[in-house]
Parts: sequence; structure tokens; C-alpha cells
Amino acid sequence: MSSTLDIYRRLLLLQFRSQMQYRMSFLFYILNTALITTFEFGSLVLVMQRFENIGGWRLGEVAFLYSIVKAVFSLMDMIFSGFDPPYFGRNVRLGTFDQLLLRPVNITVQVLGSRFELHRLGNIILGLVIFVFAMQLTDIQWTWIKLLYLPLVFLGQICFFGGLFILGSTITFWTVDSIETVNIFTYGGSEMIAYPMHIYHQWMRLFFTFIVPAIFLNYYPALYILDKPDLFNMPPFVFFLAPIVGFISLTAASAFWRFGIKHYQSTGT
Amino acid sequence: MRVFLEIALRSFRRQMTYRAAALAGLATNFFFGLLRAAVLVALYGEHSEVAGISLQSAVTFTGLSQAAIAPLSMFHWYDVMRSVYSGEVASDLLKPMSYFRFWLVQDFGRAAASFIWRSLTIMAGYAVMFDLTYPHNIEQWAVLGLAMLLSWLVSFSWRFLINLAAFWTPNAIGLNRLFFILSWFLSGFLMPLRYFPDWFVRLCYLTPFPHMVNSLVEIYLGVLTGHEVFQTLLLQAVWAVCLTLCSQLVLRLGVRRLVILGG
Repeated sequence: MSSTLDIYRRLLLLQFRSQMQYRMSFLFYILNTALITTFEFGSLVLVMQRFENIGGWRLGEVAFLYSIVKAVFSLMDMIFSGFDPPYFGRNVRLGTFDQLLLRPVNITVQVLGSRFELHRLGNIILGLVIFVFAMQLTDIQWTWIKLLYLPLVFLGQICFFGGLFILGSTITFWTVDSIETVNIFTYGGSEMIAYPMHIYHQWMRLFFTFIVPAIFLNYYPALYILDKPDLFNMPPFVFFLAPIVGFISLTAASAFWRFGIKHYQSTGT
Repeated sequence: MRVFLEIALRSFRRQMTYRAAALAGLATNFFFGLLRAAVLVALYGEHSEVAGISLQSAVTFTGLSQAAIAPLSMFHWYDVMRSVYSGEVASDLLKPMSYFRFWLVQDFGRAAASFIWRSLTIMAGYAVMFDLTYPHNIEQWAVLGLAMLLSWLVSFSWRFLINLAAFWTPNAIGLNRLFFILSWFLSGFLMPLRYFPDWFVRLCYLTPFPHMVNSLVEIYLGVLTGHEVFQTLLLQAVWAVCLTLCSQLVLRLGVRRLVILGG
């Protein structure tokens, strides 16, 4: 166990060093990823000057939802970048994944250590900045439970989307090419939960409540922390489902991943 | 002329071949369109019209902007850059035709194919799901056609120009990405520019970006008066010509620096 952790640490160190070799291009990359969020959020702020609220939520409250997802999704994207389905699919196609399988080291650790996209830091920091901005605009009645629950919400989202990445990657064992529709759930899902969920069509909301329970990752925790009423009258325990949903999805994805490895047939390249 | 027609046709066919990829892209564009429509509907709330744009038109806008992604290559387009880095540019430059026009017709074929595959299908899907705004009469449709062509011209000459950075630096992709991200914001792709404060809109119109998406959207939605329509088309044309001339000049400078290694 400790040797596995040591290998992970060393792989990460290698990643840091190699990415720091091209400092200018690294800085450019950080700037670019942060700019996407800046512009997206900036246009929302500008538009909100004309419209007072979005589905009854004021700018600060939406910023609260938005900033958490942006920061946490980027953090997840950094940790799980080895499992990013298009990247992983390429390795399956080119046969480089087979090389990893030949090594006498835990395969999951190797995939996690094979890529660590440091430039996501730009978005993580920006997400935190917007979070502070949201704190200025809202006046949240902090309690001990809320303070303790918030990190668990972050953890739940990381596990949930990490699980989706692993799921998308495992599917490429059979499809070889990464299926782009996975993006709808990963990038689309994170974009969707950045806004209050009651603004969506009913069928969409029901789908993301009962089939893919993304509504519990961000919206319900936010309702609880911001003391907003639940428009759908769900039982009160659903406010606290975020870490559980995350845990279940990561566990299920890991099981599928192990199943996939066991049945993996190389492409032969 | 014949050669250019053939190149455009080949490029069109190549684009039509990747059906699975087109379908996946279509699904993604459509899903994001629905999200953006929901956000706009929620923003409107009780209002029926904001900044001269009705709720119906606002929903139509999300369809139009999603439909513009593929033909205008809004997210990325590094084809010229790649050919510079791979050295293919050498054989292309040796061909007895203008390098700019060679890419222009290729991109026209690509844009035409993705217009059919992606744009029309997205709008058809939207028409099924929502009550949309449509141009009122045949003249407005004709003007729209012209505006689409000009939008593509502005977009292409701009993309070609920034790709030429590859002649100077091995890191042109970072710079290009920056420009693309900037274009989403300033072109009115994320939100119709009319919602923004006046000072900001004026800032945007100092750049060519609004002439790629925002002008097209405003002409489609019919929010411009007859005089303004004419002015918009004229400005689009002026930008298209400026960017084309600019890229010709930069191309000439770039080719002068170009050193191809044999092997």
C-alpha cells in the first residue's frame, strides 16, 4: 500500500517537472482555461444588470452554485485527467494502455499518474475567487453543520464526476473510440448543475433526479446552506445526499472498471 | 475555377463521411442549447421583452448560436497551423494557385456540409420543441442568406489570419485558443450583445467578432430597421475585405521566413 502511494507520488512529481519545462506555454494554458470561466461568468454578471434574477435567485446565490461546480469540477478534472475519456480512448487505440498493463504496478494508480493537468489550477483559483464574491453578495447564516457539510459536498462532486470519467474510459475498451456523448454527462452535467435546477424542463429535472441523481450534488446542498425553500417538497434528508451519491457512483464505476480490465482485449496495435 | 470547385466538393464530401462524429457533436450542441434556453427563460421570468428581444426570440437565439458553432468552427480550427508544422505547407505553396484561396474553398466545402448536417438539424429539432421566431418575408430570408455568407467570410479570414502565427512561433496554438475564447464573448455567442451595457457593446463592435454571430442573429430575428440592416451588411463586408487583405500581407511576410527542412 505504502509503495503504491510512493509510486503515485513519484509519477505526479514527474508530471510537475515535465509540465514546468515549458513555463510560458504553461502560463498561457492557465490563462486560457481561466478566461473561459471569466467570460462565461462575466457575461452572466453583465446580463444580470438588465434582468433582476434567474428563476427567483439573485446573482450572489447563482454565483454560489456556479463557483462551487467550477472549482470542484476543475479539481476533479486535474486529479482524474488520466481517465479523461478522449485521452484514455486514444491510449487504448494506440496500444499504450497495454504497456501499462505489463508493469507490475496497480493499473489504476498508473492511469491516475499518467496525466495530471496542472493548468486546471487557473480555473480552481478563479472558482474560489467567484466563491468569495458570492459570499460578499449573500448573507449566509453559517452553522457548524453547514461548515462541516460543505467540504463533503465538494468531495461528493469530485467522486461523482470522477466516477463518470472512469465509466466513460472503461466503455472505450469496447468502443475503442471515445464516445462523445459522455461529454453530455460530464461537461454538460457540470454546466447544468451550475444553475438552479428548477429552471429546467420537468423531464430533464426528473431525469437528473431519479436516473442520474445530479440534482443532489449541488442544488439541494445549496438550498440547505442558503436557507432556500425546496420547491419540490422532497423529504429533508435529500439535502445531505451529495457525498452518498458521489460515493455510490465512484464505487459502481470502479467495479465496472475492474470488470472491464478483466475482460480487456487489446486492439492489437 | 474548376480546380477550386473540385477542392470544395472533396472537402464537402469528407465532412459528410464522418456521420457518427457528426451525430455525437449534434447531440452535444443540442443539449447545451437546451441548457442555455432554460437559463434565458429563467432570466426573462415575468418579462415578455427585454432590450427589444422577445422571449420567443431569446429562445430562438440559443438555437441559432448553437447552430453557428460547426459551420463557423467556433471552438477551434488549427488546420493551416498544422500544415505549417507538418511541412505540408511547402507542397501546398508550390501548387499553381493562391494559398489563401486553396484554404478558402476547402473551408467553404466544410462549412457547407456542417451547415446541412449540424445547423439545419439543430434548428429542425428546435422547431419541434419550441415556438420559434422566423424571418417574416422572402426579402428577409434573402438578406439572411447574404449575411450568413458574409459571417462565414469574416470568420474564415480571421481564422486563417490567426493560424498564420504558426510561421513565427511553435506555440501558436496557445495564442489561437486565446482568440477563440475571446470570440465567444465578444461575438455575441454566449449572450446577445443587446443585453449588455452600451459601453460594452460599443467596445465589441470595434472588433470583427460581432460580425460573425451577433449581426447574423439580429438580422434573423428582425430586430434591425431597414437602414440598420444595410449598414450591418456593409460592415460585415468591410471586415471581410480588411481581414482578407491583412491575411494576404501576413502570409507574404510569413512565407518569406519559412524554412523547410528536407528529409
